[in-house]
Amino acid sequence: MSKSRKLLRVSATILLATIATGCVTSTVIDQRTGLTGINEGEAVVIMAKSYHLGNETEAKYIRCIEDALARGSEGLRVIPHAQFVDSLFPWFEPRTAPAETKNLAKLMDRPGVAERIAEQNVRYIVWLDGDTDRVAGGGSLSCAAGPGGGGCFGFAWWQNDADYDASVWDLHGLESAGTVSADVSGTSFMPALVIPLPFIARTQAKACRSLADQLHSFIVQEA
Amino acid sequence: MNTAIRTALPGLLFAGLVSGCGSSVTLQTPTIPEPLLEQIDMSVAVRMPENFEHFVHQEKIYGREEWTIDLGRSNAALFEQLFAYMFSNVTILAPGDDPQLMPFDALIEPSIDAFEFSTPEQSNTEAFAVWIRYRLKVFDPAGTMTSNWPVAAYGKSQTTTLGGSAALQRAAILAMRDAAALMIMKFDNVTRISSLAGGRPSQPTPILDKMREESEQAEAQSTVLEGTTDE
Repeated sequence: MSKSRKLLRVSATILLATIATGCVTSTVIDQRTGLTGINEGEAVVIMAKSYHLGNETEAKYIRCIEDALARGSEGLRVIPHAQFVDSLFPWFEPRTAPAETKNLAKLMDRPGVAERIAEQNVRYIVWLDGDTDRVAGGGSLSCAAGPGGGGCFGFAWWQNDADYDASVWDLHGLESAGTVSADVSGTSFMPALVIPLPFIARTQAKACRSLADQLHSFIVQEA
Repeated sequence: MNTAIRTALPGLLFAGLVSGCGSSVTLQTPTIPEPLLEQIDMSVAVRMPENFEHFVHQEKIYGREEWTIDLGRSNAALFEQLFAYMFSNVTILAPGDDPQLMPFDALIEPSIDAFEFSTPEQSNTEAFAVWIRYRLKVFDPAGTMTSNWPVAAYGKSQTTTLGGSAALQRAAILAMRDAAALMIMKFDNVTRISSLAGGRPSQPTPILDKMREESEQAEAQSTVLEGTTDE
């Protein structure tokens, strides 16, 4: 294979990989209300705000944030939310979980609660609120098949918005340390000329990476 | 042979189409975690209704499939575990047992008033939701009902790659955990069951007081209305 042909093939692959992810824009903001920092051995728990309050944060998004925060050599110690909720049953169920930091002191006074939290060395609880929604879409794409074969023709597009807020509660001072927000918008499209070519914007995955990176900095760095 | 296959295939296809679709979910017996609570030091007897041993909910969603949800003995298991954590001494009565012949401070009779669920198509979300309404009746050793408490519980779970069946099961288990959490938090406040410990005479509970007040008010209102009509 000639050198120029090889170069052309590599360029085409890079171009395809770039455009095949669709278009994604993101904004991440944090608002600090207290000092943060984490000592060795201290842990973080990622929780979803209660669905009794209308929240619809996806379970896979919580797992994604947990994995992203724990990953790497500088990863935090993350206690899986299901394990934490079971260990403190029934005080972190959707019905009973504290909605505001002012309820934390009363919660800590309940029998066994402070001890279980201390046993697990939990320093921060991060409450996630928000979800990923399809906000717009359009175009038309149709497919047909017959004895001689089949194919698709048309163009379709859709836009997903992922808006998530993370409230960080410091269990040492029983107070809020601040919030981190990620607002990600992604447009996917699928042109079809016999074969459909999907260019998918990985909106939720981007919202997960952005929020987790910012949360890591927020928790680790002292203000 | 070929003719038989040609005749049978459309028949089978047609039968498959007209029979419609159905979904069946069987719930594994749930285990609730050991709760952080102060156990009430008293002896209670529990009389489970027959349908707690095998509860099946069937529902045809209009224009869509029929669902069969088999809870098995999940309800019985839930209350057995819960009461064992809440009270120091628990006796589960067998169907033939006479509670009058047994020493206990209170008799609890749980039952299920309603089981409802919604699918993602109905709610226009990606989640299954389950509502369970239990009823807890508390009796003193003399057999007088001292409390009648409806407990409404809710669970919600999003559909996953595992499919709707797993999400519905999860929603049902979450509803049971929700009921357990509510009972742990409020049982004694609402039913005043601890006041029966040691065979103390029963005290009316706020709910029974309220029911009595409402009934008295209704009687008073009907008297007034009757009076008005007479005039």
